[in-house]
Formats: sequence, structure tokens, C-alpha cells
Amino acid sequence: MMDPRYIRNFSIIAHIDHGKSTLADQLLLKTGTITQREFREQILDDLDVERERGITIKARAVAIHYDYQGHTYELNLVDTPGHVDFHYEVSRSLAACEGALLLVDAFQGVQAQTVANAYAAINSDLVIIPCVNKIDLPVVRTDEVLDEMHTVLGIDPDEVLHISGKSAIGIDDVFKALIERIPAPSGDASGPLKALVFDSKYDNYRGVVTYVRVREGRIAAGKKILFMKAGVSHEVLEVGQFRPHMVKCDELGPGQVGYIVAGIKDLSAVHVGDTVTEANRPAAQPLPGYKPPQQMVFCGMYPIEATDFEKLREELQKMGLNDASFSYLPETSDALGFGFRCGFLGMLHMEIIQQRLEKEAQIDLIQTAPNVTYELLMADGATQRVDNPQDVPNTGMIKEFREPIVRVNFIVPAANIGSIMQLCEDRRGTYKSTEYLGPTRAQIVYELPLAEVIYDMHDKLKSITRGYGTMDYEVIGFRAADLVKVDILVKGNRVDALATIMHRDQAERRGRGLCKRLKEEISKHQFEIPIQAAIGGRIIARETIQALRKNVTAKCYGGDVTRKRKLWAKQKEGKKRLKQFGQVEIPQKAFLSVLEVGDE
Amino acid sequence: MPLAHLRQPLAAYIHVPFCAHRCGYCDFTLVARRDDLIDGYLQALAIELGTLGEPRPVETLFFGGGTPTHLDANRLERLLKLVRRWFVPTGDFEFSVEANPAGLGDDKIEVLADHGVNRISLGVQSFDSAILQQLERDHDQPTVADVVTRLKRRFTNLSLDLIFGVPGQTLSLWRETLAQALALQPQHLSTYGLTFEKGTAFWSRRRKGTLAQVPDDLEYAMYAATMDNLAAAGFEQYELSNFARPGRACRHNEAYWAGVPYYGFGPGAARYLNGRRETNHRSVTTWLSRVREGRSPVGDSEQLSPEERAREALVLGLRRTAGIDRAAFQTATGFEVAALTAGRIARYVTDGLVKETDTALRLTREGRFVADSVIVDLL
Repeated sequence: MMDPRYIRNFSIIAHIDHGKSTLADQLLLKTGTITQREFREQILDDLDVERERGITIKARAVAIHYDYQGHTYELNLVDTPGHVDFHYEVSRSLAACEGALLLVDAFQGVQAQTVANAYAAINSDLVIIPCVNKIDLPVVRTDEVLDEMHTVLGIDPDEVLHISGKSAIGIDDVFKALIERIPAPSGDASGPLKALVFDSKYDNYRGVVTYVRVREGRIAAGKKILFMKAGVSHEVLEVGQFRPHMVKCDELGPGQVGYIVAGIKDLSAVHVGDTVTEANRPAAQPLPGYKPPQQMVFCGMYPIEATDFEKLREELQKMGLNDASFSYLPETSDALGFGFRCGFLGMLHMEIIQQRLEKEAQIDLIQTAPNVTYELLMADGATQRVDNPQDVPNTGMIKEFREPIVRVNFIVPAANIGSIMQLCEDRRGTYKSTEYLGPTRAQIVYELPLAEVIYDMHDKLKSITRGYGTMDYEVIGFRAADLVKVDILVKGNRVDALATIMHRDQAERRGRGLCKRLKEEISKHQFEIPIQAAIGGRIIARETIQALRKNVTAKCYGGDVTRKRKLWAKQKEGKKRLKQFGQVEIPQKAFLSVLEVGDE
Repeated sequence: MPLAHLRQPLAAYIHVPFCAHRCGYCDFTLVARRDDLIDGYLQALAIELGTLGEPRPVETLFFGGGTPTHLDANRLERLLKLVRRWFVPTGDFEFSVEANPAGLGDDKIEVLADHGVNRISLGVQSFDSAILQQLERDHDQPTVADVVTRLKRRFTNLSLDLIFGVPGQTLSLWRETLAQALALQPQHLSTYGLTFEKGTAFWSRRRKGTLAQVPDDLEYAMYAATMDNLAAAGFEQYELSNFARPGRACRHNEAYWAGVPYYGFGPGAARYLNGRRETNHRSVTTWLSRVREGRSPVGDSEQLSPEERAREALVLGLRRTAGIDRAAFQTATGFEVAALTAGRIARYVTDGLVKETDTALRLTREGRFVADSVIVDLL
């Protein structure tokens, strides 16, 4: 067992692209945890989708051995995601640590996620080791960045390390700070076992691999363990650490981070946040665990081929096993048939899940426009959550229609303050504060309806600030608003999957925009197709798709046969993503076009 | 009776890729102002035809282009002699040559007729000078009238090609064109809705917005007028774009829609032999050098599965007015029509676009306007 005095558990937190993965690689290289030959960029991101997007989503843990002043230290690096959608996962990772390296890019300075992640660490009582990273860049503004860190986060400039993960500058200082500044974990090795489950994954050969941080006691192969919340016990087959691949060890003691294999076949039996204890000598109290994740963004996912429904269910199950922050429930749509209503932490989370489904499972999906979750105060005094616009009852039954509100923190160049404020005003925002980080940059805080933020706020921010602005948000609660459900009728039929909830003041404009968009997305049919937007029984907008009069290939002789057949086959392929609704074929894109009519 | 694609080929197509000028809508295999390549072409064609090993019997021969009659009388004669050496007429022999009104002198007409050509397909396209100019054609109405008169001295089977849906063309202008064509008393008419093909000048002009496609309502009306007016003049529509006086349908083209094999020679020429579709390289110079070096001139080829072949036969057959004869289709493909259409055409039948009977399946008149919509669902 490792003496806890020589263990340090830490995370690296940073705004996206501030060099977290490169520094992690450098720490692994420097300690021989990986060889140069094994070295690959961003080794912690081992899911394809993450690699493509350059973000870490799932918490990973790597044990590093480092010799310092005559002792071998075990440094456990618990990785954290860097995107606003994954706050929940950040706090999960942080709960397994005593300290965090806070990286700030020497040119870009403090950004929105720097602030959010730093506060998450501070709230978890972690020791923060602030670092200015990328000091070897040709253009840096280190002094200003130090000022920003001081102004926004109250960090003493003298405590800040000056490093470069890429060029391995200051790496020894990082190790020194990790060992000297972060407290060793405490915990009684002889007491009853208490280990926090902070992640799990499914391995085809070993079954469920449970990631744990041991607080007290010891865990070794052969021991019988009990998952306290789940109330199930298993025999431990193997314990080990990630270096970064799974390496078996004899036992894990207090402060250590590693994995347990216990022949568990069903991932749903392992709950992230659960406490592992000994079956024969259980702990009196479980560890605090985590709050369940709050899904704020929902969308419908429907297989294009109805026969893929069961396959989709299996894939969602698999996805859910590795990602506790994602939910799915079967639902039925008149337009789309049988599918699932899926809940996500945010938009990026949704995109990632959808991509994985299409890529790994090869199921063609129709996805409905995402919506936030709403809270309804009913006339009878009851409150209910609505995750799907089509479930909104008649207006007469609703006393109050409430929507989620987020506090959005923007960090933008001072020159763009006006435009950002205008954007927030247009999006029904409530101004809270402005604070200058230095002469050229400011932090603006607004409270906005989440519905106005999720879809394209980030893109708008990037385009207004030419890439220099960043944002982060947290949900602060629900607030009543004058919201209405807008239905879409295609050729007289209400298409449930196209219903959206919006503010009454925007309904007419957006309804018109929506009809126009759908007119572009739905191709001509043999008959005329009216498209209408309605609130209840009242039509607020209408467009008409003219009938297709002529669609015929003029020439088809010997030399044309192959070419024309391929052309027709291509059209047929295009039709595969169409969903037959009554007589009308609606393309998949149409279901998302609901989103693209915000500001016309 | 063997399956259609395994029957003996009785049709041959020869591609002659020369033109004075490439028209803005044309995407055929051709070279303009490269008459220096003609002699090399004739040599290479001789080599390619030589791969036949021995002369073959054919019921139909078809020279397409390009403009076969762009060759001068002397070279045209060499071409005709060369091809006739390898293909021996059998049965009721049909020998078609595509011709352009401009530059079609009596010397060429004589050569064509003397070497057995018995059907001329004349690329008229329009009689209106503004439309002809839009299409970049190099003839006018008087030229066409004159050429037709001279052709009639030697030929009793004439076809005229016409294009409708040309930007700037009105419905009355198109009716006028149809009337002028009928006045010339051809035996056959092909009418084509203008198609914007990728890679043509028209395609990029449309993309840039300098050329506007006619509204599809107007194109509908023009096609409807074509069917009405030609039927009234005693023409039978036997395919989506083809009309003929009784007994004058182009038998060579009918072979394409029947799914039977055919030979093809020349750059860009397609052949269908032993169930394999092959297309020669579309670049004239690549075809030339490959044939000269003794290499295969084939650019693309595909072997269809039995079902793909049957579905292809189904959609090609539907282009014919007579449609699909269920019994003949099963003999030709080994597939039952009903098995291929199950669950795919009910709504088209309901909408009146497809007519289904115990013995046949065909497009209705309304169905002809939107044939592709139906076809796509049957592939």
C-alpha cells in the first residue's frame, strides 16, 4: 500500500485550448509514464469524437510516479472536461482531488471557462496552483494576464508559475508545487473501506470497470465489496491503476485513485457517486456522493427505419452506461413514429451523443429541434416538468409557464460590450453587471432564458467578437414568462415534432420565419402544400409550396442509362432521410430548421 | 427465350465526336474545332472495330455525335465503309445518322444514302432565330427547310429534334415551332425539355443567375401542348420524348429501353454486353491513345445484379408509352413486376400517375410529367 503522505491527487482545469492536454502529456512523458514512442497528442482523449473536437469529455485518471527529495510520489491526475456543458463532470472529477492546476493562456488571458472552473475548484475546497501557460509564444501579455487573474480570481501574482507545456518550460516547478502545495490525502487505512465511485466504463472482456477514489480502508482482489446506494455486493477480481493503460496492483489504500473489476456485467448496477465499502465490515455512513445531473436540453431521436427502434434502444443503453449525465425515455410521435426523448447537459453534449450514435451504431436518425425543459404551475396548484413541447397542455390549464434561467458570464473585448448587450437585450436578457478585467477586456453578466442561449449564442458571440469573446453559464432557476406553444400544420395536419415553445412577443415573427424555412426544406410534391403556424386554433403565419408540375428526364438512350440510373439512385438516397407524414415527405433537416429562425 | 440481356446483340452504336462548335447546353462527348483529329479517329475506330474479330449481323445501326455529318464527304464515306465492313444488315435494317442542318451539302447526303443509311435524325431544335441564338445553334429556319427538301429526295424516314423550355421561350413560340416542324412532314419527332447538365456553360450561367430556367408551370404547359398537338397531327407518342407516325418508331432506341444488348464504338460510346454496362473513356484523346496502344478504351463499367438489372428494365420500360407487359417482363428479366413494385407504387396509382392492369403497368398521361418521381421509388 502506498503511504498517503506520498500521494497527491489533482486535476488540470483550463479554458478550452489553453494547453491542458499538452501539459498532461508533458507530465506523463517527463515521468516515463509513457514513452516517446507511445506518446500521442492529447493522450487523455481516447474517444474519437473527443479527439476530433479537441475536448475531453469523460473523466480519466492517470497515476504518475515522480521522485522528489528521496521519495517516490504517486501523483494521480484526474482529467476534467473543458466545456460549459460538462460542469457536472468537472465537479465530479474535482471531488476525487485535493488540488488543481489552473492554466491560463499567456496571450488569451482569463476566459469564461477559466472563471467557471476556478470557482468550481474553490467551492470544492481544492488548493489551486495557478499557472500562466504558453509563455514561449511569440506574442504574450503575461503581465496583463497576471493582473486579470488577480482582479477576477484574487490570485497572488507571486504564486503563479510561468510554464510552457509544449516546450517543457517550468515542468519541474509544476511537480514541486504539486507536492509541496497540495495536501496529502488523509484517511484511515485500517478503518472500514470507503471509496467514491467517480466514473465507470464498460469493457467487453472484463465487464464493468469502476473508477474509484479511496477515502478510507483498503481494497484488494478477493475482497467482497458492497455498493452502498445500490445495495449490491460483488467479489473484487482485480484492482489497479491507469498508467495510462490499466495496470494491475495488489491493493489500493487511502488517497489512491484506481479501478476495480468485480465481474459486474451490467453497468446500470454501478452508480457514479456511490460509495464502495466492505460487505463484511460496512462503513457507517456513505460518502456525500453527487447530486444527480440536471438535463436541461431535450430532443427527440427517431430511427429513420422503424425496424431500427430496438437497435437504437440498445445503443442508447450502451451510451447511458458510460454517461450518467444523459437520459432517454421512449416516446411516440404521430409524425416520426417510435423514438426516444433524450436529455442532455447542453448542446455540445447532445451533438456528441448524436454523432456517436450515427458513427458507432450506424443508425440513421431523425433528430427533432432541441428544447429546454419547462416547469408548469397548473391551475390545480401542482407543478410539472415538460421536456417536450407537444406535452404542453391547453393554456387554460396552465397558471404559470416557467422557463429555466441561466446566469451568463461573458468575457469580451471592451470594444464589443455594446453589441453583446444589444444581443442580450434582444434575447430577453436582464443586465446584471460589467467589470473591467483590464483596460481592454471586460466581464459582462446577464441573466437570460436558457432557451435563448443554447442554440447559437456562442456562435453569435464568436462572430461579434471575432473569436475573442468567451462565455459560460450556470442554471440559476426557473422564472415565469409569457410563453406559448406554436404548432406547425403541414397540409392541414399538425406535425407534433415541429411544435416549439416561444415567447408570445416573438411568436408571429418566428412563426413566419419557420413557415418560410420549411418551404425551403420541403421539396415540391405532386400537389400544393400549405404550411401554417398556429397558436392553439389561431393561424399566425402561412406559406404555400406549389405543386411539382414537371420532373422528367428528357433523354435516356444507350449512353445515358448508367448515368441517369445513378442520378435517380442519388435522389432515392436523398429521400431516405425523408419522413412520410400524411402525403408529405419531410426531410430530416426540416425538424431542426425550427432553430434557425431566431433573428430574421 | 433467354433473359433479355443474354440475347444476341442486334444493335450497334458508333459515336462520332466532332462538331463545329460546342453549344452551351451540350454535355456530350465531342471536340469542337479539332478536325485535325478526324483521321486519327478513323484509324482508331478501325482498330476498335477490329476487336469484334468477325463481322456481326445487326438489325439497327446508329451514328450519333457530336455531328457525324461534320466529317467532309470523303471522310464520311470512309467512316461508312469501315463500319459497314463489320456490321452486316439483317432483317428489316434500320440505319440512322444524326445530322446538323448547317453544312449538310448534297455530296454528304448522297454518300449517306449510297452506303445504306435509311433514316436521318436532324438536330433542328427550334425555328425561332432568338431561341436558336440562345441555344448557340448555327442554322436558321430557311436552312432547315432547304435541307429537309434535299434530304427527302433520298430519304423517306426523317426525324427532327426539338428543344422546349429554353429561357426566353413562350408557350406560343413553342406551339409555333411544333407547327413549323409538322409542316415539314417528318416521320418522327423527338422533343426534349432543356436540361441543365453539370459542366455545361448553361449550368454555370444558371448558377450565376445570368440564365433563368423557365418556370415548371410553363414547361408543363409546353410538354402538354407537345402531346396534344402531335397526337392531333397523327403522331403516336411511344416514349417520354419520342413521337412517330405509325410504324416509324426508332427501333434502335427501342432496344435501349428493352434491356437487350448492344455494341458501342468510339469515344464515350456505351455498350451493354453479357449483362455488363461499359462506357468508353469520354475524352477523345484518351480514347484515341488507348485504342492505338492496344489498351482497353473502357472508362467506366458495371456488372448489375439480377435485381438491379430487373429494376433498371422496369424504369426504362416505364418510359415507353406502352409501359411494361408483365409476361414479357418476366421472360426478359426473370422477375415478376408485382414483386418489384410491391409497396412502392400504390400512391402513384391512387394519384392517377400510374395505371396498373392485370397484364401491364404504365405511366398515365399525367404520370409522364413527373416520371422521375415515380422512377426513383422503383429503383
